[in-house]
Amino acid sequence: MAVTQNHITGTANPSANLSANSADQGAAIEPARRRRRSATGTPFTFALGVATIVSMALLVLFGLLLSPPDVTQGESVRILYIHVGTVWVAYVAFGVTAIASALFLWKRTTSLTWDRIAGASAEVGVLFMALTLFAGSLWGRLSWGKFWVWDARVTTTAFLFITYIGYLAVRGLGGSHQQRGRRSAVVALLAVLEIPLVHFSVELWRGLHQEASVAGSTKVQLENLMLFSLFLALIAFTLLFVWLVIHRQRVLAMQDALEDKGLDYALAARQAESMPATERVTTHASQEGTA
Amino acid sequence: MENIGFILATYIATFVGSFFLAAYYLRRGNRLAEQLPPEDKPWI
Amino acid sequence: MFRVARFIAAKDLRIEMRSRIVTNQVLPFAAIVMVMFAFALNTDEIVVQVAPGLIWLATLFSLLILVQRSFAIESADGATDALKAAGVDPAGIFLGKAFALAVQLLVLEVLLLATAIVLYRAEVHLGSLVLLVTTFVAATCGLALVGTLYGGLAAGVRGRETLLPLLLLPVVAPVLIGATRATEAAFGTRGAVVADGWSWLGLLAVFVALFGVGGTLAFGPLIED
Repeated sequence: MAVTQNHITGTANPSANLSANSADQGAAIEPARRRRRSATGTPFTFALGVATIVSMALLVLFGLLLSPPDVTQGESVRILYIHVGTVWVAYVAFGVTAIASALFLWKRTTSLTWDRIAGASAEVGVLFMALTLFAGSLWGRLSWGKFWVWDARVTTTAFLFITYIGYLAVRGLGGSHQQRGRRSAVVALLAVLEIPLVHFSVELWRGLHQEASVAGSTKVQLENLMLFSLFLALIAFTLLFVWLVIHRQRVLAMQDALEDKGLDYALAARQAESMPATERVTTHASQEGTA
Repeated sequence: MENIGFILATYIATFVGSFFLAAYYLRRGNRLAEQLPPEDKPWI
Repeated sequence: MFRVARFIAAKDLRIEMRSRIVTNQVLPFAAIVMVMFAFALNTDEIVVQVAPGLIWLATLFSLLILVQRSFAIESADGATDALKAAGVDPAGIFLGKAFALAVQLLVLEVLLLATAIVLYRAEVHLGSLVLLVTTFVAATCGLALVGTLYGGLAAGVRGRETLLPLLLLPVVAPVLIGATRATEAAFGTRGAVVADGWSWLGLLAVFVALFGVGGTLAFGPLIED
């Protein structure tokens, strides 16, 4: 991956988290290149990243290889390690978005940082929601013979997915940062209201219908190694979530700063234009920098 | 046989997806950082 | 707050009565949707069984247009800015607009009910009339509250026409489920009995309560600059 030369930071960062991630797919680890530290990285996130890689690798090891197949479900239980991991993160992400939104709206603690955390968490959450639905449908196909089932949990998860996407759309509406923050915070909190409502309605709906119970058992006998793999998954995905949100939040902070500065640079450019040619100072190259 | 395919698909989709998201965030961060002075990056 | 609400509601309804946009455009739209459902679903047996669902689907689609309209009248001539500058209580604006929207929705739903009876051969029984009326009123309130809330959010921003459906339709899912099941109970579709319908009404009532309170609180911050 091409990392642009950043003359501001001088320290080299041995191939960060990127090339090492490919270790999960069995590819050879790239030789450590002398690289600038990534702009949003700190020693903490680097350590976090390493921990994430390690736990993911362990998860693959245990989940795919070392843990035994389930008594009733066979190999398809391996999907559950991922599925439970992603659904956990997706719901945590949603919770973080909601709490951060509340903190943003509450006058005592209001700060755009909370708004950005809410946004970052929602973005990451959307990815994990999508993965959850994907893995879940594959698992459903293997266990029940169906890719989809209209029960409360599955439907609510799909609903949450769409709601997240709507939330992200609201964030993209434009206007000042404060407006964005306020609008999306309200939407997030309303969504918190809606979730139990939707869950309950679907439960009531399907319960009354008394659909023929799905073929095959959904019960999983969790023996030691399987339980361990499950906990590994929870840990690994949580670490990944935190890492992603920290970086995304910082990127959003820079984006906001750039937007604010954009006005300053534009004003400076206008002022420069009004000065006589001899005194004109070359405008900072960042105006033409790639966004 | 379907089993292995689905299981692998899940793992691969998850790791590839996460990897690309991470790479995207890092790259975007680097590009933005070029244009900003250090005071806008309080975490460093 | 209620004085403001009354005033705003009267204003909205008066605008509608003078322009007749809803009666001339939205109601025919809803009627056409009902006809198209019949085309798509083919057989009489199927159509009469899903009639309750179709009524509420057509209502939801029309809701989108009604909400857009409700806020379009505000943005003309900078009316919203004038309201905000005058320091009008946003909760009052919310309740007023929601009420006006509810009235228009109710008119629409009555039309749709009549269409369903005529086109789909849905049957309304006297014994289930109370359930039917209560369902329609409760669902209408819920839809009007949520519609006004998200309409306010999407008003005056670019991309609002496409944003509103994305935001609104998932939120009204419980109303769709509840109202349809209750209406089925009222019609007696597929052996549903009136007693079943009342539990769904409970769901609708919770929805109305939640969004009545939530909307009143949230509307202010939403339209604020």
